[in-house]
Amino acid sequence: MSSGRIRNNIRRLRFDRSEMTQQELAEKVGVTRQTVIAIEQDKYSPSLEVAFRIARVFGVPLEEVFQYEGADSKADSAT
Amino acid sequence: MDLSYQEKSILGSLLAVVVVYGYYFASVLRAIGRPEFDGGSLGRLMLAVIAIIVIEVVYHIVLALESKTEPKDERDTLIECKAYRNAYFLLATGAALVITYVIVAGLARDAAPTRIIVTPFLTINLVLFVMVVAELVKFLTQLFYYRWGLR
Repeated sequence: MSSGRIRNNIRRLRFDRSEMTQQELAEKVGVTRQTVIAIEQDKYSPSLEVAFRIARVFGVPLEEVFQYEGADSKADSAT
Repeated sequence: MDLSYQEKSILGSLLAVVVVYGYYFASVLRAIGRPEFDGGSLGRLMLAVIAIIVIEVVYHIVLALESKTEPKDERDTLIECKAYRNAYFLLATGAALVITYVIVAGLARDAAPTRIIVTPFLTINLVLFVMVVAELVKFLTQLFYYRWGLR
């Protein structure tokens, strides 16, 4: 299995939601502000549960918040 | 450098262990030839343990007063798990090395007069040293993952 990277649009989504602060998002999701910072900086990939909770806060599908960029993704899109 | 509550907590514990056990093991080195782990040795060890507890309690009270405490979330737990994994690996390796040392030294002593020494004082302090290093590895692993991230 090849390793990939999980990118996210949390910073843009926060900005679009009246510049929601990291602390506000952290409180709504139920994690610490440090964890939100780590996710935004691609230093931590959250659990599926937290990922769904973040998407729910923004009211968007999970794919709009997180994107998987792996070696297999190009091959998948070609098929 | 902007440190989170968890990082400050770990850094304080790390420094406490380094200072207190550094002082303790310096005294052990000065008395390395001592055969038995006597009352004085036990007293010094107890003093080190009590000093660690007092420093930790005072430090965490001050930390809680001056910065906002944060409950642990899934990232903290995951980092702690990885840190315990590394610490366990070191503890198991260290324990195996100490056991090997005691066995080899015993065999060598039976075979011929040797300069390799195994005393209760040395064995107890070797085990204690391995435990302290494992604790340090746990703290350092946590600090590493908090700073450089979990990928």
